[in-house]
Amino acid sequence: MHHAFKLGDAEHNVELARARATYRLHVGDARIDVDLKTAPDGRAWLTLGERHVEVVIATRGDEVFVHLDGEAYALRYEHPLDRLAAKAGGGANDQIRAPMPGSIVNVAVAAGAAVTKGQTLLVMESMKMETTLVAPRDGVVAAVRFEKGQTFERDAVLLDLESGSPA
Amino acid sequence: MARNWPFQTVLVANRGEIAVRVLRTVQTLGLKGAVVYHAADRNAPAVRMADHAVEITGSTPVAAYLDGAQILAAAKAVGAGAIHPGYGFLSENAGFCRAVEADGLVFIGPTPEQIELMGDKVRARTFVEKAGFPVAPSAIEDDDPSTFVERARQVGTPLLIKPSAGGGGKGMRIVRDLSVLETEIERARSEGQRYFGDGRLYVERYIENPRHIEVQVLGDSHGNVVHVFERECSVQRRFQKIVEETPSPALTWELRNRICETAAGIARSAGYRNAGTVEFIFGQGGEFYFLEMNTRLQVEHPVTEETTGKDLVHEQLRIAGGEELGFAQTDISSQGHAIEFRIYAEDPGRGYTPTTGPILTLHPPTGEGVRWDSGVVQGGEVTAAFDPMIAKLIVRGSDRSDAIARADLALAQTVLLGCKTNTAFLRRLIAHPAFVAGDVHTGFLDANPQIAADPELPPETLHALLAAASLSTRPMRDAADAVPDLHAAIGEWRN
Repeated sequence: MHHAFKLGDAEHNVELARARATYRLHVGDARIDVDLKTAPDGRAWLTLGERHVEVVIATRGDEVFVHLDGEAYALRYEHPLDRLAAKAGGGANDQIRAPMPGSIVNVAVAAGAAVTKGQTLLVMESMKMETTLVAPRDGVVAAVRFEKGQTFERDAVLLDLESGSPA
Repeated sequence: MARNWPFQTVLVANRGEIAVRVLRTVQTLGLKGAVVYHAADRNAPAVRMADHAVEITGSTPVAAYLDGAQILAAAKAVGAGAIHPGYGFLSENAGFCRAVEADGLVFIGPTPEQIELMGDKVRARTFVEKAGFPVAPSAIEDDDPSTFVERARQVGTPLLIKPSAGGGGKGMRIVRDLSVLETEIERARSEGQRYFGDGRLYVERYIENPRHIEVQVLGDSHGNVVHVFERECSVQRRFQKIVEETPSPALTWELRNRICETAAGIARSAGYRNAGTVEFIFGQGGEFYFLEMNTRLQVEHPVTEETTGKDLVHEQLRIAGGEELGFAQTDISSQGHAIEFRIYAEDPGRGYTPTTGPILTLHPPTGEGVRWDSGVVQGGEVTAAFDPMIAKLIVRGSDRSDAIARADLALAQTVLLGCKTNTAFLRRLIAHPAFVAGDVHTGFLDANPQIAADPELPPETLHALLAAASLSTRPMRDAADAVPDLHAAIGEWRN
């Protein structure tokens, strides 16, 4: 079965199979014998063919964090079903998500308002700078999830957009 | 050695790494340490470490730490005789300082008048100029608002517009073309109005590719002032410091002496009491101008401590207790080289945007010459509620290249998983030839955006990451265990 990890903006397809006492990783054209021995403190030895490297690994839900060669990386396991759903489409623009953590400086629209592409929806502040979030397309504001002054994390849904005419 | 302190308990009106830092000295001296904390910081190291911890509330977590009345009440509730404000929050708030003193407590800092003088950039600049110290060509709106735009033109390009009440780079705008001067003035004014409730501006000549060099000073209430050498803080992003070091690689012995004596002279003119920092803008030709004075302990104070052996918080406490400095300028010497790295929860590859997340694993670096001042612990969480600086790594070496080598090792050793930080970026930065040569300026990172960009991974790194992730992902391991690899099985038979 194909599995995938997201690392940064790139998606990488992988397969994992048993190979004698260890495992075999299929990635691209490469077939690599791999194994992982983990100590209770999270430090671990990763074996790749003839290579042995020390890593520190932490997981949380579908996220895997790896410290390797002095640097930390975050990978996200992509569930096969979710990937299928994403391919089938679905309004990616229906939710206005926070591009970074911050707080709301101003809400320019109310639920039920018709907006046109490029129109200011919200003004947020992050890193001591203002960012204006605009409508990605024409539509109607279904809900505004945050009020002025409220703080939010990255990727929080700030506003819902739907097609149709104003209420 | 027991000293007769006029206060037995010191309340730290701050959070994060600086609360831990101040408590460490307070407790080492045999005094009791108290902190205030918002619920978001309930499990923070400072709260666990303090002898008393008092919860404070606010409409936002930051608002709680800005609520002077609540903090003062907390100090009185635990019997604190003094309040240390740390940096940020109420550290440069003259009203808070007055309220503390009016209630008979000691404010560990300067007088409220000194805070007001240096807190207003316009007044501070005028003061420094009148005292005979160097300031950059400028135009102050308040001098005559009706001619401000014209006087701003006279300053010449490039110029910098700043809010009079500002700090931390907020609302500052560079103008290179006078045709946009008026538009930019209006933008700066609205930002100043919003951030500081004060739309007054001033304009000054912008020094191209300047260095930021600052000088640590100490003054007591008996009129003694010394400097504790300089720090160079030129590596910045969005006008905020990332790396600070001492000595500055830009200074000759003669220039170093001159800039440090200038700083001490400015502090002396102000009758300055407490630890303070005089900041200068330093041009490529060796000219330097007064920028501002910070009337508090600075984030980057540890590099000064590491090279001079002075505990600056201890000095602040002694000064606040009314003691004399007890040493002369000639008693202070600086040895070796120290560099501080601000560890930020942020993503340099995405414009240094803040990141958030749980701290699943934290292994701080250790070793000779390595100091880790941190406000977070494993199991904690980085949220958007506060500034993204989560720790400071300070390294000391016999000279600059020794310090850089140790820094690279210490940064590589720093394991922090669950929330992206800037450590990999810092390693790329200190490997850059310009940094190695000590040849940087405040626009260095803007001019070299490739340092912040995520480098492309070599295949062996990518494969190692995918292997580690695959073997740590339950559904993948379970699926692999359920279906033995046919080729592997055949291989076993052949053997």
